[in-house]
Amino acid sequence: MAVKKNREVIMHERDIEKTSQLQIVKTVFGTFFRYLFLLIVAFVVLFPFYWMIISSLKSLPEYKLNVPTFWPQEVMWGNYAEAFTAANLGTLFKNTIIVGVVSTILSLVITILTAFVFARLEFKGKNILFAGLLATMMIPGELFTITNYEVVTRFGWMNTYTVLIVPFLVSVFYVYLLRQNFMQIPNELYLAAKVDGTSDLKYLWKVMIPLALPTIISITILKMMGAWNSYMWPRLVANDEAHRLITNGLRNAFTAASGETNFPVQMAAVALVSIPLFLVFIFFRKYIMKGVSRSGIKG
Amino acid sequence: MVDSKHKWKAWLYLSPALVLLAIFTIYPIINTIRLAFLEDYNMMAAINGKVFEFGFKNFEKVVAYRGFTTCLKNTVLLCVLTVPISTILALLIAVALNSIGPLRRFLQTIYFLPYVTNSIAIGMVFAAMFNVVGNISAEPPLIVTAGIINNFLGLFGVEPINWINVGSPYWANMTVMVVYIVWNALPFKILILLGGLQSVNKQYYDAAKVDGTSRARVLRKITIPLLSPMIAYVVITGFIGGFKEYSSIVGVFGEGMGPGDNLALNTMVGYIYQSLEGQHQGRASAAALILFAIILAVTLINLQVSKKRVHY
Amino acid sequence: MKVVLENLTKVFPSRNKKVGGEVTAVNDFTFEIPDGKLIGLLGPSGCGKSTTLYMISGLQKPTSGKIYFGEDDITALSPENRGVGLVFQNYALYPHMTVKQNILFPLQNLKGEDKLSKDEMLKRAYDAAKLVQIDELMDRKPSELSGGQQQRVAIARALVKMPRVLLLDEPLSNLDARLRLQTREEIRRIQRETQITTIFVTHDQEEAMSISDMIVVMKLGVLQQIGAPQDVYDSPENLFVAKFLGTPPINVFDGEVRDGKVYIGKDAILDAPGVPDQYVFVGVRPEGFELADDGALHCELRSVEVMGRDVSIVSANPAAHTPIIRSIVDADNKVDITASEVRFNLKPHKTFIFAKETITWSLGSEGKTVYKFDKHNQKLNAIVEGRTYDMGVLLTDEEIAKLEKQAQQSLNPVAKFFVKQGKKVLAAAQTKVAPLVNFIQNHIPEKPALTGEFTYKLAMGKNSEGNTLYFAGGVSDGKLVVTDDIANAINLHAEIVDGGYNVYYLDGETKVYPEISVENGENHEKRIFL
Repeated sequence: MAVKKNREVIMHERDIEKTSQLQIVKTVFGTFFRYLFLLIVAFVVLFPFYWMIISSLKSLPEYKLNVPTFWPQEVMWGNYAEAFTAANLGTLFKNTIIVGVVSTILSLVITILTAFVFARLEFKGKNILFAGLLATMMIPGELFTITNYEVVTRFGWMNTYTVLIVPFLVSVFYVYLLRQNFMQIPNELYLAAKVDGTSDLKYLWKVMIPLALPTIISITILKMMGAWNSYMWPRLVANDEAHRLITNGLRNAFTAASGETNFPVQMAAVALVSIPLFLVFIFFRKYIMKGVSRSGIKG
Repeated sequence: MVDSKHKWKAWLYLSPALVLLAIFTIYPIINTIRLAFLEDYNMMAAINGKVFEFGFKNFEKVVAYRGFTTCLKNTVLLCVLTVPISTILALLIAVALNSIGPLRRFLQTIYFLPYVTNSIAIGMVFAAMFNVVGNISAEPPLIVTAGIINNFLGLFGVEPINWINVGSPYWANMTVMVVYIVWNALPFKILILLGGLQSVNKQYYDAAKVDGTSRARVLRKITIPLLSPMIAYVVITGFIGGFKEYSSIVGVFGEGMGPGDNLALNTMVGYIYQSLEGQHQGRASAAALILFAIILAVTLINLQVSKKRVHY
Repeated sequence: MKVVLENLTKVFPSRNKKVGGEVTAVNDFTFEIPDGKLIGLLGPSGCGKSTTLYMISGLQKPTSGKIYFGEDDITALSPENRGVGLVFQNYALYPHMTVKQNILFPLQNLKGEDKLSKDEMLKRAYDAAKLVQIDELMDRKPSELSGGQQQRVAIARALVKMPRVLLLDEPLSNLDARLRLQTREEIRRIQRETQITTIFVTHDQEEAMSISDMIVVMKLGVLQQIGAPQDVYDSPENLFVAKFLGTPPINVFDGEVRDGKVYIGKDAILDAPGVPDQYVFVGVRPEGFELADDGALHCELRSVEVMGRDVSIVSANPAAHTPIIRSIVDADNKVDITASEVRFNLKPHKTFIFAKETITWSLGSEGKTVYKFDKHNQKLNAIVEGRTYDMGVLLTDEEIAKLEKQAQQSLNPVAKFFVKQGKKVLAAAQTKVAPLVNFIQNHIPEKPALTGEFTYKLAMGKNSEGNTLYFAGGVSDGKLVVTDDIANAINLHAEIVDGGYNVYYLDGETKVYPEISVENGENHEKRIFL
């Protein structure tokens, strides 16, 4: 073919050595710039955390130096103690943990039972009911909040732990997530268990839960993080000293327009709130990332 | 298997969830819609037995309220700015991350860190970074500490800017919020896009390599089209999240939603909560319905656009 | 364009990080592919043929050695500068582009002096499409095409750049049987028309033989033989090549050279003047048998299958490696079906003898011999009581871990369940988990030899009858099991000896050491030319 000849000519004109050198230069530069870009991004991502930590360890005069220091001249651990008392973090931690643990446990029980029913049991109207529940996921939470605010007021639940735990106990999304996981377990196992006379609940406990454990762990962690980070609802319904939760308390403690803000102490408080989250992240990274990639819902 | 014993058991297991959902999810949907049409509905008065008239007054009041326009403008502006910026950045990061060997997992973990933060707490850190201690609007400006961001910009000869303090300009406030929200939104988008990239068949890239396709062209002609379902997903969730923006602004500015509590950066959700706390439940409901309508519309538009652009 | 490979070697780091070491995928290849020919790279899976193809394309860099296109050393060049067209096994057509856009894509990449005008590009795209006869389908998307059509688009996309060399990776493996026949003729035609040097990879010997000008037979990274298909078939250089080519396959017997004659059992079947006395393998092509009442080779007659022109005689011989011998004779021959014995003379040019040099770790005596599981891609045969069990490819710890992980994440929660229940149950050994799971489920009530805690090693293979065998066990508690039925497990035991395992099975109180042989890429069963 004529064109084939043409191609050979082109290739012969090329100086192979030059081309291969050019290739190497291109690859090296490509790699260099990719890493440079990624490291700059990593720096930008990490900088606020770095700034939080070092600011929390500075004295107020050092913090205010016009030329910033990137390492505290004198490490002020005392800021943390001060933050702990100033923001009343002890009570806030306690409240948040109580609410987080209780609501997570109750929520898990309900979610597992509900997911099990939708995945395994048969009854009339199951599919319509499930579709109806899924539809509610589309609606922004603020819509519920308005009426719930009134409902809990009428129930007389204002400023109690109950009001923080009960209203958002059932997450349709988690039910959906777990049901999908349960559905993958073949029905034969369930039928075999029935033949052996295993009760539903025993089967759920012995087979379904162990098999779906990764999803359940994801749900647990996300739910706990949700309690830790929830702001609006707790602020609306339990904004008293005895029941205030951490996020709300943190914002509160440093918004009071009482003269000059002590930034290092504020940063220490922020660090104290953030560190538990990091610890959870370090230990459960896999579950968090897996859960998040399937949900896209924060907390 | 389908016997009567099972049926009552199914309902028994379902009952806790159904009761809670009925009270705290289903009823609120209906009731909130009802409240939106009860003129000047006020919870306290309602508890005391007051009866409200049916009408559209709540909607009229919401729309007529001057602050509402600000809320709408801020919300839309934040969406329009942060969603494209964070999506494009996340895409570039994900593509770069996918193409390297060493350090990939490490960097991926670092990039995910902002996700596991408390948006109020870290908002306060951003506030500290942009904060100017002193009185910057005085003549001449009295600056004790310019803040690390101003210090950094100073290296390039930029005069200190009043980012978030009293008297700061709107564009500066908006810039801070965009930076913070993008920073906060990146992890999720990177995670999703990287997941998508990793599921793309490597042979497409081998084929492109054999054909001598340039990097830019691979990105434009192969990666982005093949990733389009994921991109559509992060854009849609980004818009939904953007329209509900609230707590990140509280983190930076406090509940005053702006420098000196001037509500300059108030958002739709902010407005809903303020109405709620001000015992204007009717108005809050109307605003929530409007928000829902907007989100629904934007999502539908997005889906429509992606139908044409997304290659499955 | 002539393609020359010179001492080409590709070494991958071992996937098993604990053991470390390396895997040689391609070992010191040297051969020349003449200009304008169609060449088939042929070998079983894992033989390094795809790696070779990828090195020619430039997608993989050789560890050492050189590649020349014509006189140019292109070893250091990246793929785009080599002027090759590559057709992937699953075609890799861009799903979001139409056929036309797919074919145009390589042309749009051209830059500088090579850049084409829009019209030229379209013309070339349509020329390529016409060549493969898909010019009617230009506006369809790949998902709207049949497998065969996608294949053609992929070829057109590779050809449109006018490559110097066209490479095809398993081009027919994704097509059904009918399309396969048609498409391979198509490839032949396209190659003839374009005269582009074309190299394709396949594991199907029939496919390679039918269309190639030249075939290159490979095994475990080592080149076995290269030549025109008929030459290689007629004169294989070693037992592997002889066994790999031909359907029905060659019949292999254990034999012996004694006093210048070749014996199968007691039958002297051929003269082998000047060949020293030794044990050998005798390979006889199915068409190498001649019925004769006074034939040299005595076999037990099993059945006769009439196939029209030919007759296929199925018989058995104790020295044969397979339970049955298949011989094909002319239909003119009358066979007495009621007879219990059948006798053959063997055609000398269809009968080959091979030196018997398999490396066996004969574990014959007490536990001195050490078998090392250190090389990848080696096949394991266990010979127990005179029968050869093909144990398949031995899995490393990491591969097993990977399989377990796959099973855990898998589509199949049952498998997941059993893995979890696990420690006492075998993990799935094949990517297809289901058969194993069935197997385990059927046998689980008895839970014989597989109870107790052990870290299991696992290999799957087939025995000589083609039934699946499992080779499992753990060194930690000294158990290795080979079984096709767990209830009647032969208990193989293993103990750790310096750097390897000592494998035996218990027959009452006595330890019996099976012979374990390892197949590798070297040609140990070389042809002895008569």
